[in-house]
Amino acid sequence: MMTEEAIWVGWVGGLAIGLFALLQHTLSNKQLGCSLAYGNFCGLASKLDYFHQDEYKSLFNWRFWFIVGIPLGGFLSVITSPNGQWEVSLLMGETYERVMPDNDFFKILIVSFGGILMGIGARMSGGCTSGHVIVGCSLLNPASLIAGGLFFAGGLLVVQLLFFLFAGS
Amino acid sequence: MRAGFLLLGILFGFLLSRAGATHYDYYAQLFLLENFQLLWIISSAVLVGIVGNQILKKVNATSVWTHEKLTFSTKPIKKGLLVGSLLFGIGWGLAGSCPGTAPAMLGEGKLLALFVIFGIGIGTYIYGFAAVMRANQ
Repeated sequence: MMTEEAIWVGWVGGLAIGLFALLQHTLSNKQLGCSLAYGNFCGLASKLDYFHQDEYKSLFNWRFWFIVGIPLGGFLSVITSPNGQWEVSLLMGETYERVMPDNDFFKILIVSFGGILMGIGARMSGGCTSGHVIVGCSLLNPASLIAGGLFFAGGLLVVQLLFFLFAGS
Repeated sequence: MRAGFLLLGILFGFLLSRAGATHYDYYAQLFLLENFQLLWIISSAVLVGIVGNQILKKVNATSVWTHEKLTFSTKPIKKGLLVGSLLFGIGWGLAGSCPGTAPAMLGEGKLLALFVIFGIGIGTYIYGFAAVMRANQ
């Protein structure tokens, strides 16, 4: 799949993303954040009060347009990559495939469950990798520093466990 | 303004993709302490942000689009912060993606990201539903 695409050295990518967050803030006075936007779609799909008040008074707010743009950016990145070819695939890559079931249905279940945990966790903690880590940590906000540390701890825990139990099977 | 945020989203998705933050394997490899591409991305982005935010505050920067003085809001310590953050981290490791990168991965043709996205939506709904139930008690 995407083995041929151009990938920047880590710190260059981080530099670009850090500058992007500052650019967005300076242009619009809206701080980067992705997880709240998922509630916009909950509001479009249901009448539940929670998704029609406060943050969700307007469901077509900036967050909606922002998150709609993200897949287009991913698509553009692949098709403008020197050897990149756009292909649809259910593969995760060599490392994950060592512990993931071969059966696509079970693989879909596992990543969906991961998504559910992220959805609940992001709302309980107040943000995700973009809002808490990239923006919150760069403001040295205590809640975000704690969240960032525990995001990492949770990932470490589950991946170490997955590989301890299933790698080599 | 709509077009502006759509363009920002496109740029963000493009950068996430070029940085390699859209590779599932970089997540597993980070948590196996085998490859620190993601850690480099995150830490250099935060470092740039720390410096940039200091500068923006010092010069009393105003928004280009709205002309208001930039506000630097910080998230409060919510009651569910500890448990919620851990849950998020577990999901992060299982899905090999996050709420920002999953849509970019979908755009790249990585179809599993679509199910991650559905999952995040369902999780968000569960939280909202639980919040309403608690309020009605």
